[in-house]
Amino acid sequence: MSFRRHRRDAQKEAARLDEPVREAGALARKLGLDPYPVNYWVVNYDEMNQLIAYGGFQERYPHWRWGMAYDRQRKTDQFGMGKAFEIVNNDEPANAFLQESNSLADQKAVITHVEAHSDFFNRNQWFGMFSDEGQFDAAAMLERHAQAIERYIQNPDVSRDDVEKFIDAVLCLEDTIDQHRSIREAAEDKDGRIPEDIRSQLKNLNISDDVRREVFDDEWLDQIEEAEREAAKITAPRKDVVAYIREHGMRFDEESGKAVAMEPWQMDVLDMLREEAYYFAAQKMTKVMNEGWAAYWESLMMGDERFAGTDEFITYADHQSRVLGSPGLNPYKLGKELWEYIENTTNRAEVAEKLLRVKGITWRNFREAVDFDEVQRLLRTDPVIDGVNAEAVDELAALGPDDPRVDHEMLDRVLSGDESIDVDAYPWKVLSYEGLAARHYSLVKPQNRGFLRRIRRSELEHLSRYMFDDDLYDSVEEAIADVDKCAGWDRMREIRESHNDVTFLDAFLTEEFVRSNHYFAYEYSQSSRQFRVSSTEYEAVKKKLLFQFTNFGKPTIAVYDGNFDNRGELLLGHQYNGVILDVRQARGVLERVYHLWGRPVNLMTVTKEFDEHEVEVARRRGREPTPVERAIRIRYDGSEFSVHDLDPALEERIAASDIDYDTKPDDWL
Amino acid sequence: MGLRDDLERFREVGEQRREDLKEFISYGDLGASGAKDIKIPIKVVDLPEFRYDRLDMGGVGQGKGGTPDVGQPLGQPQPAPGEGDDGEPGEEGAEHEYYEMDPEQFAEALDEELGLQLEPKGKEVVEEVEGDFTDITRTGPHSTLDFERLFKEGLKRKLAMDFDEDFVREAMKVEGVTADDVYRWCRENNILVSLAWIDDEWSRIPDDERDTWESFEEMEANVEQTTAVQRIRRDGLKEIPFRREDERYRHPEIIEKKQSNVVVVNIRDVSGSMRETKRELVERTFTPLDWYLTGKYDHAEFVYIAHDAEAWEVERDEFFGIRSGGGTRISSAYELANEVLDERYPWREWNRYVFAAGDSENSSNDTKERVIPLMQEIDANLHAYVETQPGGTAINATHAEEVERTLGDEGNVVVAYVSQPDDVIDAIYRILSTEATAE
Repeated sequence: MSFRRHRRDAQKEAARLDEPVREAGALARKLGLDPYPVNYWVVNYDEMNQLIAYGGFQERYPHWRWGMAYDRQRKTDQFGMGKAFEIVNNDEPANAFLQESNSLADQKAVITHVEAHSDFFNRNQWFGMFSDEGQFDAAAMLERHAQAIERYIQNPDVSRDDVEKFIDAVLCLEDTIDQHRSIREAAEDKDGRIPEDIRSQLKNLNISDDVRREVFDDEWLDQIEEAEREAAKITAPRKDVVAYIREHGMRFDEESGKAVAMEPWQMDVLDMLREEAYYFAAQKMTKVMNEGWAAYWESLMMGDERFAGTDEFITYADHQSRVLGSPGLNPYKLGKELWEYIENTTNRAEVAEKLLRVKGITWRNFREAVDFDEVQRLLRTDPVIDGVNAEAVDELAALGPDDPRVDHEMLDRVLSGDESIDVDAYPWKVLSYEGLAARHYSLVKPQNRGFLRRIRRSELEHLSRYMFDDDLYDSVEEAIADVDKCAGWDRMREIRESHNDVTFLDAFLTEEFVRSNHYFAYEYSQSSRQFRVSSTEYEAVKKKLLFQFTNFGKPTIAVYDGNFDNRGELLLGHQYNGVILDVRQARGVLERVYHLWGRPVNLMTVTKEFDEHEVEVARRRGREPTPVERAIRIRYDGSEFSVHDLDPALEERIAASDIDYDTKPDDWL
Repeated sequence: MGLRDDLERFREVGEQRREDLKEFISYGDLGASGAKDIKIPIKVVDLPEFRYDRLDMGGVGQGKGGTPDVGQPLGQPQPAPGEGDDGEPGEEGAEHEYYEMDPEQFAEALDEELGLQLEPKGKEVVEEVEGDFTDITRTGPHSTLDFERLFKEGLKRKLAMDFDEDFVREAMKVEGVTADDVYRWCRENNILVSLAWIDDEWSRIPDDERDTWESFEEMEANVEQTTAVQRIRRDGLKEIPFRREDERYRHPEIIEKKQSNVVVVNIRDVSGSMRETKRELVERTFTPLDWYLTGKYDHAEFVYIAHDAEAWEVERDEFFGIRSGGGTRISSAYELANEVLDERYPWREWNRYVFAAGDSENSSNDTKERVIPLMQEIDANLHAYVETQPGGTAINATHAEEVERTLGDEGNVVVAYVSQPDDVIDAIYRILSTEATAE
């Protein structure tokens, strides 16, 4: 652990946080988490704003966008809207920043939150995709990039404007990468090289025309060219547009009036920014999961395990309500509730499975045969485990040396008078993972009382379908005693290893969740020119939510051809899923991509057009007009845009067949 | 390198992309700005990206205290596509960014944009302030003695008087020379030594050293002369020859600080014939003028006079919104302006601008008999009349014309016509350039 040492306030604060930092790390590991080691830094308010602007790091390459982020951060903060509680970066070791003005309760909350994030960074496979490639040292990487780009800017042969323009152009494409694959795999996609003009190459050979014609006749040349062109065709669209440009991009040279190879510094900048895009992709892909994960464990450590201490608990509750109570679709809240739902359903399935193995209990008579109050009572945590304190350590010892719920090594030290272990402050120290799972067993928490009872028949039937030992237990007592109270946490950790937001929401967003949180979908009504609630149905809300999280919530754009029209033009395609592009923005991107390609660039997309007359009629009749979809190709040649109808063969390639994100009901207005 | 630079760059980028000043004045939203901070909307500052059409993508919301009904509208209707959009779908409703300027920067930018060069005139001696202690006398309290100067003068004197004593002593060791020879040799070599000193030293030269050198030339070739600086370095400053005549005492400079003050009288016809569009044109013309003059002068005050057949003073906030039903008598406003200026802003101390705007309609003969004499009577840097007449000139609207005909050559009177937003910039230019050339 290291802290900034050069300021007195920070230093004082750092000393105060020594213990919470040490103990939170230990508690997190006891709870089954596996965080990277975390370096904590105490920073002041302005430094915090700077770190946020820089995406959690102390050094980034020079660019006006950070200045913009910083400016906005300061402005939102001015009105007290964006109080920053934590910032932690994904690195090994991770670095977390605490604001020195936070209260101690806030600091502790931040620390527990950060430990959970750090576990997520370490164990989620989408993060692993980047960190497992070679040496993982994000701060050093970003610092290296910062210095390299700074050098290019300082280089008298390259103007600052040129570097900045180039970075601007690449940043427009930072989300058009293949984030579901590793940076290396995404670059390995095979595609043929764009053929160089073989005739002009021959011309440069300095052989006489006669000889040339003799050796390389036109027919042969045509064949070669045709073959090369075929080979160069991209069979599968390339999602990593940045990598493709890195391989085939050029720059337009004003002097010679043609496209020439990129400067080495440009290649280097492309490589660096692409690497950063892949580094940050995992965070963008797991926002709900990761924030929810951190909020869940923070809440468990701070609230249930009383890491806050009793007097700090009130301020902590306040802190949490501020974080979770933010209006709108709040990733912390959505994520945390989904994790809790997973915990509860897993635990419930475990209990039900055990109960179904009791003689005489089947999925058909489950509701009548089971006395849920009795089950609830049996599940209640052993008071010895629940009420651990310094006075009661003997009772723990009385459970016997084989009780898996006790951390016997720690208990021995306490019993032999080791005063460094404060059982009153940190009762979890004498418990094991199993003990803590029992202590925080979700189904006995007051807010989850009815959860077990609400199990659906279909689920029971499903559980018992492949069950063979269904008469394993003679009594309910016996069955409950056999319940694995770690089931929920074990499952949660499995899920955090493999999922991302899209799969997470797809798998676990439930109807119950949508209803109880009053979520709804909305769409734009052309005839009333405003947004209207389109559906409150679970399926519709889920569809919209998935849409918002798929591909960073952005349209999917891929390279379809690097030699379009046989003129070396770039052909990008928007994989149309029923929602149109912001065309003005797209044109802005094309203008900048031109800087990276050096030759004309094209974008295939689909637009929706509304007939004015039809809109008018629809408005009067109180219905929605039907748009006419039109596939187009927007071309930018370095100075002008032109719009063309799209070739039907190409149209087929960009249109997604079966996805429909539209939630508009037939009868709406 | 670092975030400060990035912030600076962002500002620069923002400035490049801020709404063109002319466009802002003629069509932009003036409402976001205050009297002292001008906020010019910035066109999209952030980089473009491939993203969904904001309208077409819809979204997910969370009901407060219940699930809303299907079909329930959310928020305000959007402007219809095609209405005043320059192909900016997706931009409306986006966060507004502003480039912020103070009036000084505004004035500078407008000068640049319009090629104006208006130098504000200093008018009033506001106060005599004690400036820095930069004036000097030969006597004064001890604490104000300029020791640095005394020391410098002493040092200069020392350097002037100082010479390489060892070198001169060596010269005395030349075979067969007399003290007079050495003195003469010293003078030739610009060594500032007195004959008395040489005489004094002469006796101290040991006799056996008197023929060390055969000639001055030989001595010069063998002995290195040191410079005054070298000697001071070597020996330190043993003494500084302070002299009474070098003593100087500092006392503060008296600065007559001229503050340039300006008062701008904004007069507006609020009678029934002044409709919404005309009002807006007046606001578009007057507001930038106010900012400009605020930026140009150290201290600016504003008087707002609304009039129909009567005139009354109002606050800025109400000024552009007032409507009344009555007729029009422009002279009423000038009478009030004259009164206010005489009472509160004497011409000796204030730069004065009197700007009036209206649709040129006036009660018969009022312009000729009352307004024009008043305009001549009121001393001002500039009198301007802005005629706002969207839709062309009405037959009885002759005020502007008459003023221009009668006073157009006065040099400090200008008439401008604004019939559409596009004219605003020309009017502002016309007004400000009249003032600039009237100097």
